[in-house]
Amino acid sequence: MLKMLKKEIKLSASPLSFIFLAFSLMVFIPGYPILMGVFFICFGIFQSVQRCRENNDLVYSALLPVAKRDVVRGKYAFALAIEGCGFVLMTVFTLVRMACMADAPVYRTNALMNANFVFLGFALLIFGLFNLIFLGGFFKTSYYFGKPFVTFLIAFFLTVGVGEALHHIPGLEAVNAFGFTEMPLQLAFLAGGVVLFILFTAISQAGAIRHFEKIDL
Amino acid sequence: MSIVEVERLSKQYPSFTLKEVSFTLEEGRIAGFIGRNGAGKTTTIKSMLNLVHPSDGTVRYFGLPIAENEAAIKQRIGYSTGTVNYYPKKRLKDLAAVTKTFYPNWDEAAWREYLQLFALDENKAPAELSEGMKVKCNLAMALSHRAEVLILDEPTSGLDPFSRDELLELFLMLKERGVAILFSTHITSDLEKCADDIIYIRDGAIVHAADTENFRQKLGEEGETLEETMLRLERSVRHA
Repeated sequence: MLKMLKKEIKLSASPLSFIFLAFSLMVFIPGYPILMGVFFICFGIFQSVQRCRENNDLVYSALLPVAKRDVVRGKYAFALAIEGCGFVLMTVFTLVRMACMADAPVYRTNALMNANFVFLGFALLIFGLFNLIFLGGFFKTSYYFGKPFVTFLIAFFLTVGVGEALHHIPGLEAVNAFGFTEMPLQLAFLAGGVVLFILFTAISQAGAIRHFEKIDL
Repeated sequence: MSIVEVERLSKQYPSFTLKEVSFTLEEGRIAGFIGRNGAGKTTTIKSMLNLVHPSDGTVRYFGLPIAENEAAIKQRIGYSTGTVNYYPKKRLKDLAAVTKTFYPNWDEAAWREYLQLFALDENKAPAELSEGMKVKCNLAMALSHRAEVLILDEPTSGLDPFSRDELLELFLMLKERGVAILFSTHITSDLEKCADDIIYIRDGAIVHAADTENFRQKLGEEGETLEETMLRLERSVRHA
């Protein structure tokens, strides 16, 4: 699998997949829907999938001495690596904001989602939706990605809408906690994000392998 | 000894059916796979490599079914489509650098040798090569990991007569080393030079698979070349 991942990085990956990791810095933008940073990281992975199709990578990969299912696993490994890097960066920036900037006026007056563990839970949920809807959808044909991407966009904006609206609902203000307050609630959201991310990714990869085995290249 | 066994391989498309294709490939022999365009050669070859998902049938290499031993089998076989149709803008050296990491048997000296033999510049990208040079590039990749079986889909298409002759000479050299080669072609004169066996496919079904001598005895007429035999057989079907 490591060889497939290296192959993805050396041949298939779009530089934008790596450059767009910088959008994790959006965590610091006040008065902005910071979950957009997660979208841009997903968009970077989308660029690599597009590049893979343009270069007929799936045929090249299927001709290598690997099982057909490992071609799919390689693509998921790459997506997970980028998502993992993005998540680590966002976690670091979120912790910096929570620890050092929780009382900054620009954040205190922020009407939108704060950078906290709830945000990180939502970020994982969005990565999971990207894997489930976009990657899983792409591997249904191993060619068309327009419909899966648009479907993901709809799911993304709905998720952002829910995330941004949640703390405005009376009784749920604590969701938008500043700093390390309301930790049980914050960690519950993060744990939920972890579970959904793992679940969505596992379902998506299993379906993608099943579809790819039957695809005629 | 049969190192490739294709048994009742079938594939159904809406407008084409591959019908229970069966044949074997022996160690150290060259088999020519002939048939018109659209007869089922590429579908058969792609099914043999698991690129196309067959509706039915089995393909065994070295006695092992490819369905369960795909990665191990692909280590020991080489495959080439007519041309390189992936990563057109990557330099050959970059493609080879990644490809070789998957083959413990990759022979760097052989790769260099084939680059020289085929006059390939590794700093060029496939998009900068002519169709004939792309075929050679693909072949160089396939030959550089010491494959025991070569499966080549129309390797001589697009090659000039001199290069084609060189390639056929190379096939004969590889055969001496015990490599089994299956190559599809519609240039039947290629077969006259080097094929030990001929597999003839028409409308998705094998018409006849035999060694060249038996093939001529069974289907050929006195003094006919293979091309004339094939043309006569195809015309007889069209006029029937």
